[in-house]
Amino acid sequence: MYLRLNNRANCYISFLIKFVIILNIGVVQAQKQDDNPTNANIATSASDWFDKLTSPYNLQIHGFASQAFISTSDNNFFGNTNDDGSFGFTEAGLNASLQPLSRLQLSVQVLSRRAGHGSSGIPRLDFGFADYRMFSHEANQFGIRVGRWKNPFGFYNDTRDVAFTRPSIILPQSIYFDRTRNIALSSDGVQLYGESSHSRFGSASVQFGVASPIVGNKDTESSFLGGHQEGNLTPDVSYIGRGLYETNDKRIRLAVSGIWLNMGYDPSANDVLESGAIQFAPIFFSAQYNTERWSLTSEYAIRHSKFKNFNNPVLDSLDFFGESFYFQGVYRFSPKWEGVLRYDVLFTDRKDKSGKKFAAASGRPAHSRFAKDITVGLRWNVTHAFMLRTEYHYVNGTAWLSTLDNPNTSNTRQHWNLFAIQASYRF
Amino acid sequence: MLKINSNYGCILLIFFLCFITDGWANDEYEIVTHSGVNETVLSTNSLRAIFSMHLKSWQNGEMIKVYVLPDDSPLHKKFAKEKLNVFPYQLRNAWDRLVFSGTGQAPNVVHSSNEMLSAVASTPGSIGYLEINYINDDLNVLKIK
Repeated sequence: MYLRLNNRANCYISFLIKFVIILNIGVVQAQKQDDNPTNANIATSASDWFDKLTSPYNLQIHGFASQAFISTSDNNFFGNTNDDGSFGFTEAGLNASLQPLSRLQLSVQVLSRRAGHGSSGIPRLDFGFADYRMFSHEANQFGIRVGRWKNPFGFYNDTRDVAFTRPSIILPQSIYFDRTRNIALSSDGVQLYGESSHSRFGSASVQFGVASPIVGNKDTESSFLGGHQEGNLTPDVSYIGRGLYETNDKRIRLAVSGIWLNMGYDPSANDVLESGAIQFAPIFFSAQYNTERWSLTSEYAIRHSKFKNFNNPVLDSLDFFGESFYFQGVYRFSPKWEGVLRYDVLFTDRKDKSGKKFAAASGRPAHSRFAKDITVGLRWNVTHAFMLRTEYHYVNGTAWLSTLDNPNTSNTRQHWNLFAIQASYRF
Repeated sequence: MLKINSNYGCILLIFFLCFITDGWANDEYEIVTHSGVNETVLSTNSLRAIFSMHLKSWQNGEMIKVYVLPDDSPLHKKFAKEKLNVFPYQLRNAWDRLVFSGTGQAPNVVHSSNEMLSAVASTPGSIGYLEINYINDDLNVLKIK
């Protein structure tokens, strides 16, 4: 019953999109009807016509929309959540891909995300690139991607805003910071990729990109420079890469990813800061073990941050390593129901895990330098296209809270709870 | 008394065999392609690359069009486990990663074996899987080695 309804809803939505595109192309609908007078169903004939027109190019359109309700005992996360809770977390995306030649794919995705002061909901280009397959022989592929592509790191970054592909409503924040998310999402540049698989040993894939990071965002600026500054961050040439190994049964998946991110600072006329530079270099290790019922996942990251030439003794002395990891178990009770349990830890500076040195030097709370999050959640795949879920977090520490949503760090509470529910639809 | 029992036993056994082989016959399936596809034999490795949507063209350069049944269809589950050695959720996760990162496309989903038959028979470059009692001369059967 659900499935049928859902198929019908799918047909309806995909037809609607096709219909809008047809209107845009400016084709007269009636003409087709004349060609095929026996077909009384305009919807079907327009849709068929569209399929015929686009099928040589393999046009696919997909999308998703998710709405969450989040309530926190203290502190704000994705909006004003600590009073009565908030419906302020909304994600929606629409993507199209086209394969005009067997070696060429064009893909584009527009994303709207509303989550506190960091994300306003204004649609942005999430990715838009051409993928040319230079070499393809059986299970070995090699190609190039040019344009704006998703940054390949960890298991989840490539599709981090699609609720269906996440293990929980909120991704483990120690690895997938939503505070500095805009710089982590995608980059403009060139990426090479290769894939190879062996009938016994499994498959390996490698991606390597040279890119200009997307830095124009106040949340990024505030996280890196500790509050709003007069000038602007500017992108410098940066590098990103990931190697992924999977056994043929995908039981074991292992990945190593690295980013070498370079940013400059462009001071304004009366700026106290000079044109400094920031280097941010995280390395990620990811491992997953899959069975029919279980998926056990763990990721570890070590992040090097270095600041120089700002002509500010505090900023210029910053040269530290942050450390994060999580352990996560997902259990599938049935294809429709799954549970998740996770322990997620972040240390902003691994030499000052308690944050005490930082507190002594800055006067800000020690708990703003670490966060330990225990998460338990439940997911219900109502249909293939519609999903409901809920989760509870018990958090000790505030290191990954956004300073835009929590402007006064001394007002934040070290021990806090977060409860969330989410509905998500995709096609 | 003993003899009658063993006779009955034999009859029951024969009856049972008929029944289960009949069941097997219905469960048997093959990998099928459009009649225009030149390949007749495929390695498991290539089959996996095709259904994970990484291998996009046949050896002559023609585009591969992949057809699958829904994730919860018994034949899809059987195919995923037996031929690809993965669970349907793993395939779905891999396809979702491709679609929503723009690095690939999802396979086409058909909702019945009849739909599978007509889609593969009429789409050049297509590949799918089908119970043997649906297979006719309009399709090629691929051997997997």
